Amino acid sequence: MSRHHHDLLWQSSLRFLLQHPWHFLLSILGVALGVAMVISIDLSNSSAQRAFSLSAEALTGKATHQIQGSGDFLSDQVYRDLRLTAGYRNSAPVIDGYGRVQGFDRTFQILGVDPIAEGPFRDFSSQDGGIDLAKFITGQPTAVISDQVLEDLAKNIGDSLQVSVGGRPFDLFIAGAIATANQRSQQALESVLLVDINTAQQLFDMDGQLSRIDLIVPDENLEAILASLLAGLTEGTRLVSSGSRTDTLSQMTRAFELNLQALSLLALLVGMFLIYNTMTFSVVQRLPLIGRLRALGVTKSEVLSMIVKEAVLIGLIGTILGITAGIGLAQFLLGLVTQSINDLYFVLSVQELTIELIPVLKAVTLGLGATLLAAFWPAREAAEAEVSTVLRRSSSESRLAQRLPSLALTGLAVGLAGGGILLFPNGGIIAGYSSLLFVIIGFSLLIPALIVGLSVLIRPILGALNGLIGKMSVRGVVTELSRTSVAVAALVVAVAASVGVGVMVDSFRVTVVSWLESQLQADIYVQPPSAVARKADAQLQAELVRMFKETEGVASVHSVFSEDVMTTFGSSNLVTTSLGAKASESYQTKEIQDGFWEQFAQEEVIMISEAYAYRFGIGMGDSLGIMTDKGMQSFPIQAIYFDYASDMGTITMNRSLYDRYFDNRAISGLALYADDKTEVDVLVNRLRDRAVGVQEVFIRSNKGLREASIEIFDRTFTVTVVLRLLAVVVAFVGILSSLMALQLERAREHAVLRANGMTPGQLWNYVITQTGVMGVIAGVLSIPLGLLISYVLVYVINLRSFGWTLEFMVSPSLLIQAVGLAVGAALLAGIYPSWKMARANPADALRSE
Amino acid sequence: MSNKPIIQLKQLTKSYQEGSKRRLVLDQLDLSVAEGQMYVLLGRSGSGKSTMLNLLSGIDKPDTGQVIIDGTDISKMNEKDRTKYRRDNIGFVFQSFNLISTLTAFENVVLPLSLKGNDPAESEQKAQFFLDQVGLGDRGGSYPDRLSGGEQQRVAIARALAHEPKFILADEPTGNLDYKTGSMVLNMLSDLVRKNGRTMIIATHDREMGQIADQVLELREGSLHAMDALSNVAEQSEQDQFSQSVGSSHATESTKPTQDINETESTKASNE
Repeated sequence: MSRHHHDLLWQSSLRFLLQHPWHFLLSILGVALGVAMVISIDLSNSSAQRAFSLSAEALTGKATHQIQGSGDFLSDQVYRDLRLTAGYRNSAPVIDGYGRVQGFDRTFQILGVDPIAEGPFRDFSSQDGGIDLAKFITGQPTAVISDQVLEDLAKNIGDSLQVSVGGRPFDLFIAGAIATANQRSQQALESVLLVDINTAQQLFDMDGQLSRIDLIVPDENLEAILASLLAGLTEGTRLVSSGSRTDTLSQMTRAFELNLQALSLLALLVGMFLIYNTMTFSVVQRLPLIGRLRALGVTKSEVLSMIVKEAVLIGLIGTILGITAGIGLAQFLLGLVTQSINDLYFVLSVQELTIELIPVLKAVTLGLGATLLAAFWPAREAAEAEVSTVLRRSSSESRLAQRLPSLALTGLAVGLAGGGILLFPNGGIIAGYSSLLFVIIGFSLLIPALIVGLSVLIRPILGALNGLIGKMSVRGVVTELSRTSVAVAALVVAVAASVGVGVMVDSFRVTVVSWLESQLQADIYVQPPSAVARKADAQLQAELVRMFKETEGVASVHSVFSEDVMTTFGSSNLVTTSLGAKASESYQTKEIQDGFWEQFAQEEVIMISEAYAYRFGIGMGDSLGIMTDKGMQSFPIQAIYFDYASDMGTITMNRSLYDRYFDNRAISGLALYADDKTEVDVLVNRLRDRAVGVQEVFIRSNKGLREASIEIFDRTFTVTVVLRLLAVVVAFVGILSSLMALQLERAREHAVLRANGMTPGQLWNYVITQTGVMGVIAGVLSIPLGLLISYVLVYVINLRSFGWTLEFMVSPSLLIQAVGLAVGAALLAGIYPSWKMARANPADALRSE
Repeated sequence: MSNKPIIQLKQLTKSYQEGSKRRLVLDQLDLSVAEGQMYVLLGRSGSGKSTMLNLLSGIDKPDTGQVIIDGTDISKMNEKDRTKYRRDNIGFVFQSFNLISTLTAFENVVLPLSLKGNDPAESEQKAQFFLDQVGLGDRGGSYPDRLSGGEQQRVAIARALAHEPKFILADEPTGNLDYKTGSMVLNMLSDLVRKNGRTMIIATHDREMGQIADQVLELREGSLHAMDALSNVAEQSEQDQFSQSVGSSHATESTKPTQDINETESTKASNE
């Protein structure tokens, strides 16, 4: 075989692609859109992860272990005992929390340290790192910030900096700048505000308290040192390795990221349909050409490799464009992903997109792989075609017709296999998504048979409405089944994916709205601004709580407090409520012990959220060990409640029980009930007036809080909605293109019709009716598939990702929208070919090449 | 011109499934084709001419029987070997020209040479030579859709001859051309085939074509019938009085056609 003839075949291929720029561009677009979605999600996830690990690395420094309190606090006496009494010098006190710096709309991590003890731990916060002790510890509140931030703020050393912590404003003097020598440390420290430990205690209202003590335990004698350290610890304190906190945090976002990735893969799947679609067109269109080549002695494998090479070219161009577009898209998604992580999990500041090699390699593999996979069957079809039949016409149609029953049976089997995967207990999210893939593929294989079936129903209707042209249009869909079914399948999958995600978001929203309704019973809610929207991580000042309780018009008050505690399952969120037995009005329970609410008020029992129970596989009657200030205590779980605020899950106990075991008396939220004589809005304004100068807090009516909560909910679903919209755009472009290609391909048939006396108007009618029929069929078929997808998303994937029970909510408008989308895309697709054919001279199309 | 048989068809049978019925197209057919001879295969539409050419070229396989080319039974070959055999040994001229629309006229002629693995420079030289021979030496850069039907068929002829195949199969080569262009193309084809010492089988329903043949055969009801007096082919056939079944042993030698084909060689087809 000579290189020369391969060049000629390749040239022939290339020219064919260039002669059909529509198909060529659309195939490329299919790959590019799919790849762009995958890489943008990957890059924004990995940038968030990188920002997280860089900042965790910088803030942990060289610490190997940490001593923590039972909750978020640790008495500074522990540090004094450790350093002075026990003489353990490799230790440093740390307070960390969050605050906002005026001039930036991002949250800063405030790190309180003792620069003298810092030396062995962190480069940037010690004297060696350039901290000028004389300026830093002056008795005045001072702060050190990265030089980049200083530059952004246009401030100098010695200027003052306005910082707000938990709604309370502070003025700090800038005592110095952390010189960020390189990109890496700049990225890690771009949102860190360094203060001395005393300032931090003031900022966070943590007099005599620390967040933790960092330790460096050398590898030699590790066990012995740890044992002696442990022996010296008081009740309610614990020794943990430094990595464990970071690990816990980074694991939080795992399910969230996985779901985003799955959504992006769904887009790639739709993209694959487009590629398959366009490649099939390209092959079917070229069958006579391939037949000639075969007659001249081009072998099957040469035909196969020719088509595969084209696919590689399309895949390569599509992937490169997709990566470029994906990077742009990632810039945009990064903001949304970071926002969601901040709303749901922890404070994360990601200022820039980091482009890592692995997501790029993954995109290249997926882009090329998906293209080759999608092109494989058309390529094989081309290669396997018998020369003698290829030299004749329309052999491909008769072959598909023969294969209809076997295709449908295979589809049924694949779909059932998809259902079967769900029967595996503990299959996890991956199994859920695999099942989804099987269901989609199975349904797609059923589509040709379904088209034939639906056509039988539609034909007489259109015959009655639109006469012969109506009948012809439907018939045309069936006679060219090998082309039309692929276009319809692509449309069905795309629209169904959109229906599925739409139903899932709707179900979620309806569930959350009804949950909020029952959860929010009080008239007014008071909360300090918190760094993580769905978590109360700041406290109300005792003074403010006292003032509010005594405010005229307040009938009764209950408080909540939320903090992270150590449990048998690691760090968990503990919420305490002072509601007592009245909690029965606010909490919707999934499972409950008889007489629980009385026990909850008086005895040592707790309840856990559904997500918590699911995450750790615990339930009614089990006991949960919680580290308290009186040591590890075990509490029986007597109820499981619905809670959609956190996918990490929460533990709830009554305040009186908490106070028995914990020394902390902090309050992170108040719920107030207005008396009968007082209007809620009047009371809200009264409370707002009283809070001025004490603490900046959110005082919201029941309705206001509900709206704010729903707003946060919607915000956390923005990425999903954006991805869904993008998938719809991919679908729309794909459908438009494939149907248009199908019609343009029929130019000759249209010319024959025109030559036989069909007027341009009748031709319009014919083409538009035909694409419309395909749109209607696709719209109708996308509903059952969309519902199947949403069923799996709601009952399997959400449950397996987050452990939430959701109400299944299908809004008719969503379904109408779906059918409308399909029909709209299909009708639009008919316009250009009709216009083109109506204007063209039939003689041109009739003339053979 | 040697009389050594280059093609032998032995007991060749081919049938097609049509719905529930099986239609016999070729029935126990025998034929021996001598090297350097020109055969015209007559037959009505659907008589099995194209099927016979497909079997001869290895595009299709017989139900039973042998297709022996130069001593090798190609019906026993697998698909890939048949394709390679076709690429190396056969030149095709089709009714609908079947040029590769994405290659220029010149590249279309080069293609079989390069498929065969010939040296590129030599291939290009040969392609140009044969394009010159069909009078299209200056149209090599044109794509098929820029050429008239007659010109396209002349490119197809150059393509069929360029890689020096053992024999040439022409399926209704003038079927898509007007009478004048058709005659010109046919004369050019037969002249070039003879000049290059090639063997050719032309399948056609046009009885007049018999005039250029060394041997005229008619395919009727699955069997071959020899026609001996070339000038009277048309009448003879219509009256159907001399039909006889022919086997390799009694295929008769015939005289060369009388028409002067050189006259048309330089004639350029007019654009349609």
